[in-house]
Amino acid sequence: MPLTSELITLDKAAIVAFASQFDPQPYHLDNEAAEQSIFGGLCASGWHIAALATRLVSETLIESGLPFVEMVSVGHLKWTRPTFVDEQISVRVTLTDILHESPIAETYVQAFDVEVCNGDGAVVAVMGASAAIAQDSAGAATS
Amino acid sequence: MTALYLRDRWFEDLPVGEFHVFGSHTFSELEIVEFAESFDPRPQSIDPEEARGNHRQGLIASPWLVTATWMRKMVDYMEVYAQGVNDGRRNGAGVAITNLQWLEPVRPGHTLTYTYEIIDKPDRVIREKWGLIRSRNEAFNQYGNKVMQFEIDILAERCPA
Repeated sequence: MPLTSELITLDKAAIVAFASQFDPQPYHLDNEAAEQSIFGGLCASGWHIAALATRLVSETLIESGLPFVEMVSVGHLKWTRPTFVDEQISVRVTLTDILHESPIAETYVQAFDVEVCNGDGAVVAVMGASAAIAQDSAGAATS
Repeated sequence: MTALYLRDRWFEDLPVGEFHVFGSHTFSELEIVEFAESFDPRPQSIDPEEARGNHRQGLIASPWLVTATWMRKMVDYMEVYAQGVNDGRRNGAGVAITNLQWLEPVRPGHTLTYTYEIIDKPDRVIREKWGLIRSRNEAFNQYGNKVMQFEIDILAERCPA
């Protein structure tokens, strides 16, 4: 049973703010240019989606009693459809493997699969990733 | 013609083995904190005081700030050395990444140098128009240590001829 996060809405100001700083390409900045582009409309940078998905994953794991510390790796991340202005995203997280060796002191590594969904439930990105989890969580490393 | 070569290439013209250094970026405490507050609010990236006692023993950049800065360096590099992002050919967007690893923490004052190498051109035609350029991307800090690596598939327009 996947863990499910709350929803975040991406309004135009948020999409443009991220893109202006990190991904200033026309389809993330300008309505008209975006309509002519491969996406067909103004949409969020994939890196914006990745960062927000990580935020939602961290909040979801913490709420489930896993004290998320830091992302360690992303084995794969695929953007399957654009996220347009005023669309929402949430994540569904399925825990997979536990690795006891971690690059960060007093943590272990939890692997998980993530589906990033929009407000209609359509998948906009899929990700297999791992994060360092604090060992002081009661018995979590052996669960 | 020679001077314009990088500016005018199709998928077919991009060779495996091509290597670029996108440039360097020095991370400030302020940008580390602002990125975290806006996009990835982890305590080790937000509060320098609190971060001293944490797992990393001091403020570190969000991993996604390190990776998003790669994107910015690539866009800036294309503006200078290639046709720029207004050329539809160079605007096909990233499709997927693999093997993204953050190997060492990035702290305020650290300077990363970002590199890009074309490693493969998978044999696929997407929507009758695009090819895939697979690149290996790495970031090295001021000590020469690799702090991030990943591979990404980016669409490039095929020659219509």
